[in-house]
Amino acid sequence: MLEYHASMWGRILSGVFVQSTELTTMTARKSGSRLETEIERCRSEGQWDKIPELVRQLSAKLISNDDLGELLLGECKLQTYLKENPIKQGSSPRGPRPKLVEVRKHLTAALDRRNLKADYLLEASVLMAKLCYVEGEYRDALGHYTRVNMDDMQLAGAPVYRLSMIAEAYATKGLCLEKVPATSPSLSNRNTGSPSSNRSTTDRDQEIITCYEKSGDIALLYLQEAEKALSAGIQNRSPKPGPTAQDQELGYFLETGLQRAHVIHFKNGNLTKGVGRFREILRAVETRTTQNLRMTIARQLAEILLRGMCEQSYWSPLEDPPTVSPLDDPTRQGHTHSKNYNLSRRPRVYSGENLFCPQENTEEALLLLLISESMANRDAVLSRIPEHNNDRIISLQSASVVYDLLTIALGRRGQYEMLSECLERAMKFAFEEFHLWYQLALSLMAAGKSARAVKVLKECIRLKPDDPTIPLLAVKLCIGALHWLDDGECFAKMVIDMGEKAAEFRAKGFLAIGLVYSLKATDASLRSMQEDYQKKALGAFQRAQSLSSTDHLAAFYLALQLAVSRQIPEALGYVRQALRLQGDDVHSLHLLALLLSAQKHYHDGLNIIEMALSEYPENFNLLYTKVKLESMCRGPEEALLTCKHMLQIWKSFYNLTNPSDSGRGSSLLDRAMADRRQLNAMTLPDFSDPETGSVHATSIAASRVEQALSEVASSLQSSAHKHGPLHPWMTLAQIWLHAAEVYISMSKPAEASACTQEAANLFPTSHNVLYTRGQIAELRGNIDEAKRWYEEALSINPTHVKTMQRLGLILQQLQRYSLSEKVLRDAVQVNSTAHDVWNSLGEVLQAQGNAAAATECFLTALELEASSPILPFTIIPRAL
Amino acid sequence: MPVEDWLSEFKTLPDSAVSTYAASLREKGSLVPALYKVIRENYSDLLEPVCHQLFEFYRSGEPQLQRFTLQFLPELLWSLLSVSAARDPHTSGCIEALLLGIYNLEIVDKDGQSKVLSFTVPSLSKPSVYHEPSAIGSIALTEGALANHGLSRVVYSGPHLQREIFTAQNRFDVLTFLLLCYNASLSYMTPISLQSLCQLSSRVSICGYPRQQMRRYKGISTRLTVTSEFLVQLITGIHYAFCNGEVELGSKSLDDVLYRAQLELFPEALLVGNAIKSSMHGAALKSNNKEGARSIQVEITPTSSRISRNAVTSLSIRGHRWKRHESQEVSVDSEAALGGVAIPEISVTGVSGERMANGDSLRQRPDGRTGPDGDIMGTTSEVSVDPRGHDSGTRGQEESVLRSCPSFPLPHSWGNLDAVDLGSPDELMDISEMDEGVWPGGVGPDMTPPTITISNSITTLNLGAKAMKKCRLGGRNSKDKEAGPLTTGRAASENAELSFKRLTLTSSQSVPKAGALTSLTRTASAVFSRSFEQVASGIAPPSSNHNTSDAGRYSCILQEEGLGYLSPMPNHTQRSPSISVHLGTDL
Repeated sequence: MLEYHASMWGRILSGVFVQSTELTTMTARKSGSRLETEIERCRSEGQWDKIPELVRQLSAKLISNDDLGELLLGECKLQTYLKENPIKQGSSPRGPRPKLVEVRKHLTAALDRRNLKADYLLEASVLMAKLCYVEGEYRDALGHYTRVNMDDMQLAGAPVYRLSMIAEAYATKGLCLEKVPATSPSLSNRNTGSPSSNRSTTDRDQEIITCYEKSGDIALLYLQEAEKALSAGIQNRSPKPGPTAQDQELGYFLETGLQRAHVIHFKNGNLTKGVGRFREILRAVETRTTQNLRMTIARQLAEILLRGMCEQSYWSPLEDPPTVSPLDDPTRQGHTHSKNYNLSRRPRVYSGENLFCPQENTEEALLLLLISESMANRDAVLSRIPEHNNDRIISLQSASVVYDLLTIALGRRGQYEMLSECLERAMKFAFEEFHLWYQLALSLMAAGKSARAVKVLKECIRLKPDDPTIPLLAVKLCIGALHWLDDGECFAKMVIDMGEKAAEFRAKGFLAIGLVYSLKATDASLRSMQEDYQKKALGAFQRAQSLSSTDHLAAFYLALQLAVSRQIPEALGYVRQALRLQGDDVHSLHLLALLLSAQKHYHDGLNIIEMALSEYPENFNLLYTKVKLESMCRGPEEALLTCKHMLQIWKSFYNLTNPSDSGRGSSLLDRAMADRRQLNAMTLPDFSDPETGSVHATSIAASRVEQALSEVASSLQSSAHKHGPLHPWMTLAQIWLHAAEVYISMSKPAEASACTQEAANLFPTSHNVLYTRGQIAELRGNIDEAKRWYEEALSINPTHVKTMQRLGLILQQLQRYSLSEKVLRDAVQVNSTAHDVWNSLGEVLQAQGNAAAATECFLTALELEASSPILPFTIIPRAL
Repeated sequence: MPVEDWLSEFKTLPDSAVSTYAASLREKGSLVPALYKVIRENYSDLLEPVCHQLFEFYRSGEPQLQRFTLQFLPELLWSLLSVSAARDPHTSGCIEALLLGIYNLEIVDKDGQSKVLSFTVPSLSKPSVYHEPSAIGSIALTEGALANHGLSRVVYSGPHLQREIFTAQNRFDVLTFLLLCYNASLSYMTPISLQSLCQLSSRVSICGYPRQQMRRYKGISTRLTVTSEFLVQLITGIHYAFCNGEVELGSKSLDDVLYRAQLELFPEALLVGNAIKSSMHGAALKSNNKEGARSIQVEITPTSSRISRNAVTSLSIRGHRWKRHESQEVSVDSEAALGGVAIPEISVTGVSGERMANGDSLRQRPDGRTGPDGDIMGTTSEVSVDPRGHDSGTRGQEESVLRSCPSFPLPHSWGNLDAVDLGSPDELMDISEMDEGVWPGGVGPDMTPPTITISNSITTLNLGAKAMKKCRLGGRNSKDKEAGPLTTGRAASENAELSFKRLTLTSSQSVPKAGALTSLTRTASAVFSRSFEQVASGIAPPSSNHNTSDAGRYSCILQEEGLGYLSPMPNHTQRSPSISVHLGTDL
């Protein structure tokens, strides 16, 4: 219909107005012809259907514009044809088409009379060449291009549509050159006198690439200009929005022009130039039309940076590429031409002060991926109706590629916190998508956001119930930072219930549930419960050990559990087995030392600790035990030296921390976040309770309070706790307290008090500090004061056994026997293996005249003392 | 014997010929395999001179010679790990020395100063060579986005400690760092080296596990300890190998490392490994066509969106809201907006599907009435001009309107599905700058200014570790040592009071008195302040008798080393601790 109209108009026009005049279009333009502008606008905006009408008006007005009319009609019919029969990438047009005959007629008419202004004449030739290409006459097309010198076409001041035309012309020329065999004589390299056809082919390849690169540059310029014109137009017509602000569609030619150059570079194995071309395209200021292209190219460039480059072969976008690069295919050397063309006008690039320019391949990849991500995210298809299934899949795919690459880039640099934030944005794609959920969970876990990680892992389990790794990861979090033992039990049971399907992970499942029970036993306040859990834990560890006899962890935890239940010889057997499997495992060595100390072989224990320390010189846990053993075997002076050594290690260890700590956490929000994170998810180390060692429910509460207060008040955020298992400040306080204890054992209250003060400066409300102060007061004979300190300590941590024992003794001295008995009985409930508590209880009972019960207590104490280690076994951390 | 020749050659080489020699090494085809053989046979007599020579190469500073040494790194690592697993410490002595030597060279710069590697985390809120923030449009207002707004964060690694010997504790720190160096020059590594890296990864991961039988590897069968970071570095290398010719070996070893990461429950390694695996599906297929080719292949992609224009996307919903908000100037209630309230200008009707049907039916009609220039705003005329969907048209208009007037104030309450959108980054800037330096938590107006102000991160970033150390040390002088004794009683009560105040804070949930908090802050901050300079210059406590108990000789010694700090302590009269504990009923 439309076609018919157009051709009819054409016939009328060419039939009626035969004569031509010398009136140039310039004057017409100067006169401010609305028509001219309208035509230009329609050509720029591709509104070909309006052209015939305008041509009619044009000719009617000036009678003389028929050549121009021919040109316009030819163009509009060609474009309309191409719009209806778009050329697909990868397919080449074949043969003449009947519909194009008219186009040829118009263009020939426009060209033949040679009355057109130079600009229009060029336009006509270029259109003719394009027509030839569409008809498959590549040689003819090239003939047309050689006749006009395209480099003469002015870019400055050219109307928008002409920019597009020039860009298309270069692209078409490149396409033709690729189609026509190189040996053909009629081509640009006419002086092929030299026999080295190889050289001429590389020259030719270079010419092709130059065509495409020019085309691409001009295309970018065109798109920028077109968009500018469009927005200007809209502004003029405001407030009513313009009628046809339709999406600019790049045709086949512009698309090819923009992309073919780098495709050829990569095909030739010339990564350096390909990357250079990518960067040129990306540095040009984006337009609406190039958004998708930019998204794709940004992703592809990021892929290359991550997969094919390394720090040493990288060069920054503002530098010249290296002349020799390992990235280029060595067999294809000789392609290292530098850019050999200049354009009078280039597309605008991003500019300004303080532009961020990446200095490293991961940085650049990350920047590109963030840009790509922001676009992919915009395209997230939200509707779930079945008709949009395909769209959803497309948007999901393009986004998940970007997120995977982001993970690779951020993972390399250990930026898990940022990664977890990125992946959270991916959640709008994630409905029922296991991969995205799982990656989010892992990133949360790596970023230390344990509580959220567990919640996300639950969803992962729902999506993939057969994978034993997921519940195991959840258990790991539950028994670690979170201390959610009931949830942990639940997850561990999932793994066990998988049975044989879980394969290697089955043993891990038993190990996990054993750990859960073991921790529950430590937490339990009723003795029967404790024993019950201990039994369950032992059973689970035994299963784990029998399922996986080469796993040192199974043997080790079995040994630890046996040790906790004071089966010392059995425990020794298993810890030796664990050490056979993994000779330098620090926890096994530590346990061995403690077991030896339980058998009162203090010197052997100390030897083991020293051996372990030669492998783990900075392990504070070992050092604490060393202090204890030394003051036992070699006297307190040696122990004090070890304390000093610990302080030195602490200094060298944490003073060296890198400056990123100060970078992060300096803005207010960071600090707020760090605070919250610490409260929610910080791994609570052994500090709060050197005696009960790994976390105990009440001491968690206590240390949380302690931490919250101390942190808020003293603002010592070191946001990263990556350096070691212990929070540095807690470690420091711990060291001071150990020193204090040594001084107390030497009966030096003043020194002990000074040390305690150091710890108190860090953690004033720690029950350990208060307990130590109580001991010092006792040492000074200040019973009342000591009592007050102990009471304070208990108000913070009501289950601190040592404090209860000391308080019990003081109450006894004050002759408040029944209260003393009560305190001590409570203490025994909490920890039934504390022999000194039993002993004190015996004394109290004796003082009350209950000789029989006292005897029993003394016997128990005696028995327990025989198997009591120098420090409780539970100082060894239990984690998966 | 290429190895012997190689050993003698370099010794006689004049300094000027080093670089040409480095280039000529490439041509010696039989040398590299022979060297591999020497490293693999742990007991070769040549091992020690070879290690020595490799170290000399590395020390020469000539990049090509350094890379020559680096190519053997995976094999050397395996040698070290397998020997240490077999507990035969004597044979690997020279390999240990070589690796430690390389490590110690790499952690310092040319002048022997500790090297700090830095990495700038790019941020979209800062203009770059590839984008400008305004074009990105809205950035989700998350905590992280706000915290990082306007500043590019720099992450540092290092300084690292010099290491004299391998211990179980530092072994993987050193090895991970060495792998990092190896990965930094991956592009220069030969295929043999990459294969060796893949082998190393597989073996480290599976030895001693059931999968070892599957892989039929018969070497050592004890389990090797690994760390998550080490695995991540291995994965990085494998990723490169996979993409650059070693498809089969690469994917096998990636599987092995992932297997191990699962068993060890290492989230970091799993994260990166999974991502590589999932992004590799396409890439692997492509490179199978051409043997050994790099799997970087680029094709011409259509520039138009592949997503159909009538699907509801984040963007279309965003535009939708915005328009609505503008027209009604009320806060958008998200339910109402989704529920398909009719809005005259836009034809987007949300998820209800109505709009969809519209679009589909229109697509079957390729053309129709040729619409006039556009006095009509209605959907139908819109569509007839561009049969490919109408809402994109409107969307386009909105966007261009947006772009043409950049200072247009955007609505603040742009309730997106999961994140609040912030349009203009300038607004964000304001927020972050206003917040700077404000004390967190409940601070009363009458409170004295906080002793530590958090300086703008840009300045702190420049503060290296050294500068910080200097600041800390600057604040103290020798007077501390001679300070008079402090009675323990006072110290004790002092502290009791502190603790008392803290306890009130929790129990009553109230804001502490300003004075109490400042003194607490001062005490604590003087001990461990990050920005000590402020403490030093900002507060000179009026009653700062730097007290140390005279018996605290021990802590004094440490102070000289700049370690322990005593806090300036305000004087307080003795007060008895006022917390009493009620322990059940008195029997």
